[in-house]
Amino acid sequence: MSGRTVRLGAGMAFWGDRVQPAIEMVERGDIDYLCCDHLAELTMSILAKQRAKASDRGYTRDILDLLRGALPAIVEKGVKVVTNSGGANPRAAAEAIATMAKELGISGLRIGVVTGDDIEADIDDLMTSGVGFENLDTGRPLSEVRERLTHAAVYTGCEGIVDALRQGAQIVVCGRVTDIALYLGPLIHEFGWARDDWDRLGMATVVAHAIECGGQATGGLYAGDWQGVPGLEELGYPIAEVAEDGTAVLTKTPGTGGRVDVGTVSEQLVYEILDPGNYLTADVTADFTQVHLEDLGDDRVRITGGTGKPAPATLKVNMGYRAGFVGEAVFTYTWPDAYAKAQRGLEFLRTRLERADFQYTEDHVEYVGQTSMFPGVVAEPDDPELTEIVVRYAARCPDAENARKVFTESVPLYNNGPAGVAGVGTRPPLKELYAIWPCLIPREHVTQSVEMLEV
Amino acid sequence: MPTRVADLAHGRSGDKGDTCNVGLVAWDDAGYEVLCREVTEERVTAHFGDLVQGSVTRYELPGIRALNFVLTGALDGGGTMSLRSDHLGKVMYAWLLRMELPG
Repeated sequence: MSGRTVRLGAGMAFWGDRVQPAIEMVERGDIDYLCCDHLAELTMSILAKQRAKASDRGYTRDILDLLRGALPAIVEKGVKVVTNSGGANPRAAAEAIATMAKELGISGLRIGVVTGDDIEADIDDLMTSGVGFENLDTGRPLSEVRERLTHAAVYTGCEGIVDALRQGAQIVVCGRVTDIALYLGPLIHEFGWARDDWDRLGMATVVAHAIECGGQATGGLYAGDWQGVPGLEELGYPIAEVAEDGTAVLTKTPGTGGRVDVGTVSEQLVYEILDPGNYLTADVTADFTQVHLEDLGDDRVRITGGTGKPAPATLKVNMGYRAGFVGEAVFTYTWPDAYAKAQRGLEFLRTRLERADFQYTEDHVEYVGQTSMFPGVVAEPDDPELTEIVVRYAARCPDAENARKVFTESVPLYNNGPAGVAGVGTRPPLKELYAIWPCLIPREHVTQSVEMLEV
Repeated sequence: MPTRVADLAHGRSGDKGDTCNVGLVAWDDAGYEVLCREVTEERVTAHFGDLVQGSVTRYELPGIRALNFVLTGALDGGGTMSLRSDHLGKVMYAWLLRMELPG
């Protein structure tokens, strides 16, 4: 590859991911940009709930752990950071970063805050102006869940990131921008690509997709010859050396564990995609179908062949709504007749729940170690010689009070049910359910804006 | 003679709402040819049985010798709602690797 390249490092793949790989790639990965994705479907609901409790919360605080370790080297080397850790409260995240930078004795740091994704306060106005927000999967109207919404965030593109970088931001903190935008923003800023240069944007989207899940491109979660991946305990995260035409060489931080080869990258390319000919993002519709990988050796893989088409006219909205609670109980029976005893134990639990006026919408039984991964297609473990059987019972309930009953009514299994039981355990934390309401919004209703903080 | 998908390919799976996708990556060109011929939407639908309530659609990525299967209604209401231990469909690929090849 000749000519100039921009080196993008994938620092984080989800809220709670390890921060060490990001620190390593800042210190010795020779990267220009550290791109950090912290947001999954469920994350925004949790962050919105935190923001509702305290106005200075609602972002993923792992960005502070990361920057506490990496900020001195970031400043020294002039690495730029693009992160969607702002979640439901990008401004609060940026302020917390600024406070930490001061504590570290850093000055002259410009932090850009990108907003515009959060449309929760505008939903009613938008509906009045004709945006239906019908559920993409079911076609149902939003009014059915309107009162239970936790948040509404648009999967926004990279224009705010490009703008913040142009204004000299070294750290760009966003809310719900797409994972892809975290990578496209720096590339458009550096290379000056036109916003309708679809093939380059499509190619760069493929590159971004290949590395955005961090360790999943470098040998983590590898289903191929997984025994052959060295150093999983110190897995390095991926780096893309992107050329002006959008193609790239994928590699990882030197001296780290893991492996970058055609196998590890191929697996990641097919992770969480639908139609590979029409990979929809806010910035471009990418085409993965002709992507090609070439092994260059030494943990280097060249990636080419991605193309693109115009971005969709609508943007996806991630809305979440409260959908009740899960009640759960786990208990284990031993030989002899482990399965038959498990059946009797379940009957006991269900009868007691019924007598406790248990309200639920669906329930689910798994035998852990037997049927829990592929329920419905694996036979029940009814061998009377079976050494042990772990029963997991879970139910979706309309409220916390009913969900609590599941564990409560399982406790008497200890001394009122069949013999050979153990592991009923202690009361598990209640899990609140948030359902996703997938819907669309015409892009003209969404405008990102940038605000700059300076330390 | 390959007897099941795992003899020819590795894979990865994940979630988008209540949809799960399973990507298969063949180890070589010959294996990819067999996958394309034998791992049809009909057979995958039958193999997943009750685990998938909706449809199965297959896509091809010849440049990386991969097939992508999109399974709708596959995660008991989606990652945020599912009662299953594997609520994100992370191990669904393994069930497809286990599918027997005909003949």
